[in-house]
Amino acid sequence: MSAPLASQLELRDVTKRFGGVAAVDGVTFDIAKGDIVGIIGPNGAGKTTLLNCISGLQRLDGGDIRWQGDSISGLAPHRIAKLGIGRTFQIVRPFGSMTVRENAAIGALFGSAEARRRPKEAFEQADEVLELVGLKAKAGLAVSTLTIPDRKRLEVARAVATKPQLLLLDEVMAGLNNVEIDEALDMVRAVHATGVTVLLIEHVMRVIVGVCRRAIVLDFGQVLAQGEPEVVLRDERVIQAYLGERYAKRRQP
Amino acid sequence: MIAGAIIATYALLAPLTSLDAVQSAGVPLLADKLWFRIATYIAMFMVMATAWNIIGGITGYAAFGNVAFFGIGAYTTGMLVAKAKWPFLAALPLAPVVASAFAALIGLPLLRLRGHYFAVASLGVGVAVGELVQNIDYAGQPLFGGASGLFLPILSIDNRGLFFFYLMLAAAAIAIAVTWWVLRSRFGYGLIAIRENEEAASVIGVNTTAYKVGAFALAAALTGLAGGIFSQWNVFINQDNAFPIEYNVQMILMALIGGTGTVFGPAAGAVLLQLLIQFLGGSLPISFDIPFVSTDARPIVAQVILGVLLVVVVIFMPRGVIDFFGGRSRLSLSYLRRSLRETSL
Amino acid sequence: MADFVQLVVLGLLAGGVYVAVGIGFGLVWGVLNIVNLAHGALVIIGGYITWQLFSAFHIDPFLSLPVDAVALFVLGYTLQRGVINRIIRAPLLFTFLLTFGLNLVIINVLLLMFGSDFRSVTPSYSGQGLELGNVVVPYTRLASLGVAILTAAALAFVLNRTRIGLAINAISADRDAAQLVGIDLRHAYAMTYGLGAACAGVAGGLIAMIQAITPTAGEPYTLQAFVVVILGGLGRVSATVVGGLAFGLVEAFGQSIPGSGSVFANAIAFGLMVLVLVTRPQGLMGRLR
Repeated sequence: MSAPLASQLELRDVTKRFGGVAAVDGVTFDIAKGDIVGIIGPNGAGKTTLLNCISGLQRLDGGDIRWQGDSISGLAPHRIAKLGIGRTFQIVRPFGSMTVRENAAIGALFGSAEARRRPKEAFEQADEVLELVGLKAKAGLAVSTLTIPDRKRLEVARAVATKPQLLLLDEVMAGLNNVEIDEALDMVRAVHATGVTVLLIEHVMRVIVGVCRRAIVLDFGQVLAQGEPEVVLRDERVIQAYLGERYAKRRQP
Repeated sequence: MIAGAIIATYALLAPLTSLDAVQSAGVPLLADKLWFRIATYIAMFMVMATAWNIIGGITGYAAFGNVAFFGIGAYTTGMLVAKAKWPFLAALPLAPVVASAFAALIGLPLLRLRGHYFAVASLGVGVAVGELVQNIDYAGQPLFGGASGLFLPILSIDNRGLFFFYLMLAAAAIAIAVTWWVLRSRFGYGLIAIRENEEAASVIGVNTTAYKVGAFALAAALTGLAGGIFSQWNVFINQDNAFPIEYNVQMILMALIGGTGTVFGPAAGAVLLQLLIQFLGGSLPISFDIPFVSTDARPIVAQVILGVLLVVVVIFMPRGVIDFFGGRSRLSLSYLRRSLRETSL
Repeated sequence: MADFVQLVVLGLLAGGVYVAVGIGFGLVWGVLNIVNLAHGALVIIGGYITWQLFSAFHIDPFLSLPVDAVALFVLGYTLQRGVINRIIRAPLLFTFLLTFGLNLVIINVLLLMFGSDFRSVTPSYSGQGLELGNVVVPYTRLASLGVAILTAAALAFVLNRTRIGLAINAISADRDAAQLVGIDLRHAYAMTYGLGAACAGVAGGLIAMIQAITPTAGEPYTLQAFVVVILGGLGRVSATVVGGLAFGLVEAFGQSIPGSGSVFANAIAFGLMVLVLVTRPQGLMGRLR
């Protein structure tokens, strides 16, 4: 890599079909190390499918994904996690029978090459991460007692505990109120400040403008526009994609 | 669970105390032989229930065919002792090795299945392996003894009953120790993560395939060990006693009664359920009469009672058994009502 | 070539029984999400009813099939309404254990009532058959294939054309939504299980004509029904028909392999099932759910 700002993650013509429909259709973009990038787009634009492709949960039907110069297409999810790509799920998937602290510790126990391997060290690392996301006071609680915003924090904590170099966040703000969004934004900034590259999917425009240096707009599985958030959001086609969706929504019973 | 552990201790000490008591009282030795047999059976089920807990309770894969590993262990040791004339103690270690190798082999395709599919596919494997073992011929001769089974030379040692009881008890201790270790290790945390959410486990770096197969093979090794001991203890093995389908359900029920995912729960459940089964079957010295039932029909009636009991336990305490052995709930009417409300329509 | 045709015919005839056994099992599994380990026991109850009516009153076994169906329907409805409904929302393991418990009770009650002797139903025409090459295909076998297909058609009709059938389809698609539009879940569930049991009863009557029965003779059929449903694909009667016939064919060809004999039937069945599950989980005919 000769470029001064090395591309950490490169997507080339990434395609994923379900039946005859291309959910992700020839997507190409780069993510630079240390960047914080937002992916936006209407419902069904293929955002989550794209994250699933990057984290290995779904196999590509075409194209290639390169991580620090090497192709990771077709690798199993745990191999990709070990290489340093962490992720959260939009619908949170905590390990229900465990405490908050244990959930984070499991992330540390497995996770990337830099994560801890002994349970005792993993628990120490879990405590650091819980402090970072603001869950330290609730470390001993059962997951079932957590509120929705706290569950989202835990989802992030578990991913951060794997010590990723790139963190994929799938709508961590969805379903939160304005105050909670502000708190969550602070959390994302704090995680980014530790040197982690962040790629986040969002539906809420304010989030993209608030934290992202760059935005990528997906529509019908294709990249509609990319660039600085303020510029992208004024783009005619982007406005149309969103307006179209809003009209469609209004027409539904 | 503590109550269960106490019962377990008593049940296991019973033969020892009765041995002393019986001998000093000069009673014929029949009684304590029977106790040894029952206690050894209990220890055998402690191994199987504890082993099932590793794949079923900790990893969350409802394996219904673990009896295949018991049978494979029994036949491995049985073949080596009966046909290759190995000494028993040299043949025994190969039982868990062969059983776990087999588990790893079938685990790769089977563990890609989930839910009902895995449960019934594993049940099918249990049935199919038993059939194959009985029916495979080599050069016109049944390879594994065929329908007439396999006879092992009787071990010529003193106190055979005591020896096999301690051997089986040692296997149970190993199974419990392995579970204790698993629950404290990175391996165990990975298994629990798989049980709670397999996809989430994979994206934090758990090699789900390797872990699931590992848990399956570990359970198979312990179950195979019990089978290996059984073959020499029982001297005779065939498809019926090495691959009994009902063991599949019994070991699961034991783990459920005692508490899945715990260290001692399945073993405690094994003591309770096995004592009950032996009691209903009329094998216990403390016997009883079932009204209107002839002695011939008694084993059948015992099975009916066992079936009804299974239905009642499952209906009234789907979570209950686990809960109150874990000390989280007390058995009460309101508890039963709540537990019914949660699961019924 | 003649051998080949012969095997196909024999396979399809054997498949008739698997169709009859599979449709009820598939209905209960698809709608109630219960793998019914008592299914084979229900089948054998039907067999004993047919045998009892034949041996005590000389009633033709084909005429007793409706009796099997009605009796098993009543039993199935009661079991679901009184017992299984109570744990329908519990985890998978519990429905498994519950139906195994029911299986244990049924088999042992049958043992108490009828003993473990082999019982067979032999009407006057049981020896006659159609000559096909060098084998004779009994008319009872031919007729039972017909009955099995008819039963499947009747079940499909009930499911697609009647009020209760639509209700069953609705709960199978979305239990909560079905409840919201006013379907009585307890009744609809019990009807589903009752229909499944009725099919099992018919299957049992057919089996009693083909083989000698004992109280435990139904157990292999539970596992085979599972394989049949997987083979065809869960969720449609027509898929189970295809699965049952395919299973009959596989068995016929498997047994024709020199040296294998009938003893490997289960091994072949389960090998096939695992293969299908791993390579084509939706079954031969099914859509991915």
